[in-house]
This record gives sequence, structure tokens and C-alpha cells, in this order.
Amino acid sequence: MSTLQAASPPVQAIRRLGASETGLAIVALVGFLLLPVFVSGYPIYILPQYMLYGVMAMSLALLWGVGGILSIGQAGFFAFGGYIIGLCFKWIAIVNPAYAALLIAPAMGAALAAVLGYFLFRAGVRAAYFVLVTLAISIIVEQVAVSQSQWTGGWNGMYIPRMSVTLGSIVEISLFDDAPMYYVVLTIVAVTYGLLRWLLAGKFGKVLIGIRENEDRVISLGFDTSLYKTIAFMVSGALAALAGALYGTHAGFVSPSLGGVLFSTEVVVWVAIGGRSSLLGALLAAIVVAWLSNYLSALVPKYWQLVIGIVFVAVIIYFKGGVAGAFARYGARSNAGNGANG
Amino acid sequence: MLTTAASVLVDATLLTFTLALASLGLAIVFGLIGVINMGHGAMLTLGAYITWYSMSAGAPFVIAVLLAASCVALVGLALEHFIIRHFYDRPFDTLLITWGFFLVTTEVIKIVFGTDIHNVPNPLPGAINIGFQEVPAYRTLLAVFTLVLILAIGLVFYRTGLGIKIRALTQNREMASLLGLDIGRTYKLVFVSGSFLAGLAGALISPMLSIDPYIGMVFLVRAFFVVIVGGIGQILGGTLIGSFLIGGSETFFALFSTQTFAQTVVFALAIIILRFRPLGVLSTRSKS
Repeated sequence: MSTLQAASPPVQAIRRLGASETGLAIVALVGFLLLPVFVSGYPIYILPQYMLYGVMAMSLALLWGVGGILSIGQAGFFAFGGYIIGLCFKWIAIVNPAYAALLIAPAMGAALAAVLGYFLFRAGVRAAYFVLVTLAISIIVEQVAVSQSQWTGGWNGMYIPRMSVTLGSIVEISLFDDAPMYYVVLTIVAVTYGLLRWLLAGKFGKVLIGIRENEDRVISLGFDTSLYKTIAFMVSGALAALAGALYGTHAGFVSPSLGGVLFSTEVVVWVAIGGRSSLLGALLAAIVVAWLSNYLSALVPKYWQLVIGIVFVAVIIYFKGGVAGAFARYGARSNAGNGANG
Repeated sequence: MLTTAASVLVDATLLTFTLALASLGLAIVFGLIGVINMGHGAMLTLGAYITWYSMSAGAPFVIAVLLAASCVALVGLALEHFIIRHFYDRPFDTLLITWGFFLVTTEVIKIVFGTDIHNVPNPLPGAINIGFQEVPAYRTLLAVFTLVLILAIGLVFYRTGLGIKIRALTQNREMASLLGLDIGRTYKLVFVSGSFLAGLAGALISPMLSIDPYIGMVFLVRAFFVVIVGGIGQILGGTLIGSFLIGGSETFFALFSTQTFAQTVVFALAIIILRFRPLGVLSTRSKS
């Protein structure tokens, strides 16, 4: 980072804050923290679900934007997590079932990703093959959820109670009201974002970017790239499953279509629009597009999915960086215009 | 016991040819010009819908099938001409764009034809007795047709000037272009042929299924596994062997469980094969 210029420092400070992802993230966090003060009712109820979609979007941005590995199976992991928390509420009585689920879901998500990662990345299959295998994951999750109805409720789906926060047997805080649940989810989302930023800032992130840019060179530098890719996929699968578990207890209901190909594709669309190499872009794009989807799909139910598809193609062809890419370019240009070496 | 074995064999054979038919378009486009056409699934669906629509408008089955294949080929031509041809050197982007095409086409199908389930009447009801077993007549005809189609493609590929050009292109693109081969035209021809085959497959398979806007999705994944298990570039033999492994094992596992579970097992199996033979079962080790 360069030092501030003497001329109009406040303007520049604001501009730099806007251009740097951390600044924007802090602004967004403060905004979300204060929101329940001004707004109540439906937005506060529904926003946590969109934030959890955002976590799923970040799990894809990590894979696709940073590592260059696209998955059309993230919703499969998400639904997997949702079903796990449902089963935990049915089967686990000794400890708080939600706590158990919030540990088991990411662990199972990571384990599933580890197995697949071993089979695919070790064999050195092309990135394109991986896409189709993840597409198969989505189809499998949906089909299993439909066919194993003794556990999952089949087409009818599964009802899941709202979790509560407990400490031993003394303290129990129900999250049944919207605002407490909102803050719990917001905390988890913010912590996840922070941890991911930290993870990617280190060696792991650099190696992943290296794999995206030139895998052969990273291999020749002595890195076991298939291990790095597998770990990235595991982190991604764990995050998506964790988000899915929280979504399950928040929405109170999961059904097979939650893991389906359409929803998985929607995640790709969010990330493509937000900017695949920016975690914040993915997170915010998921929230905004999911919000718009909810609104517009009621307004023009027949055409909304079509619009999403066309926007997706347009983003791939014309705006590879998405919104975050456009911001970064704008930031770079205004920095260059001020003579600072941003 | 023997009759069960025989009926499994017959089922597996019929499914093998159905899968091979559904995979040919994908195999050709992927094997020859390196584009994984995710839109293949939507093209199958479109072919099925056009067949249903023409038949309910009174067209005979054969005309409806030809119409469906031609329309899908036209759609493929438009897609190639306006978008895909600019992205041949970026294979991963073509994958994303064709996936976008899949989404858009599926939505257009939903808007134009609605989301209700439709059925195409079986043009050849009844069964053929082959000695120990009754075999559905239409599926048998389809298997024979697929075999003839594969042989015909092989003939074009290995016995005509066009086939030589295409093979030259896949073996050495620069050299083929230096020798005066029009690469753009040949790529276009291959992509449109693949689209035609996808439409044809969708049309011919339509009497065997209930048609809804998402039938192409599972076929896309199955066709993809057929192609990679068989081996890319091994267009004819590979597609048949891949179809046999995928379709045969699906029939086999369906004996012990439900159809969906069998499909899940087969997908898992295909992933395992991919681990040990990433270039397909026909590949030789030397071909890095």
C-alpha cells in the first residue's frame, strides 16, 4: 500500500476504502449489524437464508475463482448438510443436536469431498471432467433424497426444528425469534469470511492461485498440487455443508430440489455475477441475486430463470471478472489517475 | 435362472444401444473438436419436444424425427456461428457457455411447451419373439438403427475425403490448415453434425420416455460418462464399449435395487474407472 497523497486526503481515503475488499467488507458488516435496528419482520427473517447462500457462494469462489476448479455440485453439499441436521434432530438426544450437526455436517462434507478429490485429482483428470462429475453429485444427492424416503421423507421433504443455543443444562436461548437467529448466522458468516480471507492470504492461497494460472509450473516447483486441490475441495465441501445445516434449521424444511442441479447452477451464476475471484463479491452477489430472484420470480415467474441464464452467458462472454472485477478495474484506474502505486 | 440371465442380457443390449445413440453427438463434438457440449442434454430434450409437437400436429413419426433433428441442427448452427466459434481456443469457456445454452434452452422449452409431461405414441408397438424371449419391437429396431448409424459414421470417417480432412484436423491442426484445409468450416460441420445427432437421438428416444423439460440432464451425465469411460477420440468403438459398461452395469445393479439406486452406483463406478483409466478403458498407456 502506498502512502496517502496530500491532496484531498478524505476523498482519497474513501476511494481507497471502497477499492479495497477489506474496507467494503467492514462497511457491509456494519450495515448488516445495524439493519435490525431499522428494519424488522420479513427481511430480518429471510436475510440469514440468503447469507447462508452467500457462504455456499464463497465456498465456490474459493474453488473456482482462486483454484480454477469449477463445481456444479455445491448445492449437493448444501442439501447434504440440511439433511444431516434434520437427522441429528431425530436421532441425537444426549447433547444439543444442532451442535452435533454443526460439527458432523462439515466433517461429512469434507470427507465426501476428500474421497472424490482423491479419485479425481490424483488421477489428474481435466478440470472439465471435474465439472461433470460434480454435476453427477448434484443429481445423485437429489435422487438419493427422493428414493431413500424412510430417512429423508422423499418428495415431501423433511421438517427440521429451529435450533437453540445451550450452555450445559442451565442456559438455553431459543433462536426461534428472527433477530437472535439473524445475529447468530451473521456472526458465523462473518467469521467464515474472515477465516477464508486469512487462509487465502497465506501460502495455501498462493499455491492455489499458482495452480489456476499454471499448474505444471507449480508441480515443477515441488508442490503436490493434487493435495492442494483436494484440500480446497474439502474446505469448500465442508463450508457448503455447514451452510446447508444452518439453512435447514433456519428454514425448518429441506427437500430434494435443494440439492438439485438447478440450484447448484444458480450458485455458479451468483459467483459469476459477483466476480469469481472475490469472496466478498460472491457473498454479496448471492444475497442480492437471491433477493432479486425472490422478488422477480413472483413478478415474472415464467421468465425469471431465462433471464438468469442469459445473464450467465453474458457474464461468461463479456464480463469475466463480474462486478468485483469491474470494481477492481475502476479502483486501479482511479489509483493510477492519482499517481499512486496501488 | 437362465431366462433371467437371458432377459438381463437383452435388456443390457438394448440399453447399450440407446445410450450409444444418446452419446454419439457428444462423443463426436468432444472427440473431434474438443468441445464438451453441455448443451447436448438440452438438444436431446429439444429433439424430443419437437417430435412430440409435430406428431400432435399430425405429422407421421419419421417426418417428425427428421424435422426434430434438422431443427436442432439449425439451433446448433446458430450457437456455433454466433458464439462457440470465437471460443475454440478456450475450451473451459465453451463448457460454461454451452452450460448457459443448456439453461436458456431448457427455460425456452418450458415457456414454449409448458412444464406438463408429454408422451409420444410408440410408432412400433408389439414385441418380437427371438426364440426364448419377447423383445419390444421399437427398441430392437432402434438398436439396429444405432448400429447402422455407427457403421455409417465409421464409413464417412475412414472411407471418404471428408473423413480424411476431419482426421487430419484432429491430428495436427496447424499442418492441416497449412495444407489448405478450411478449419473454421470443418469445425462448424462437426459441431452441427453433433447437434443433428443429439436432436435425432432425442427424437428417437422420445417414445420410450415421459417427456419433461429435464430429461436431457441425466442423459447428459450418462452420455458424458459413456464418452470418458470409452475414451475420448475413440468415437465409435469407445462409445459402444462405454455404453455397454454404463448401460450393462446399470441393468445389472437394477436387478438388486431400484433404478435410481443403480444409476447412483454406476455414476460412482464411472468415477472409480476415471481414477485408474483417466483416458478411458480403451486407452493405451503410451498415449500420456
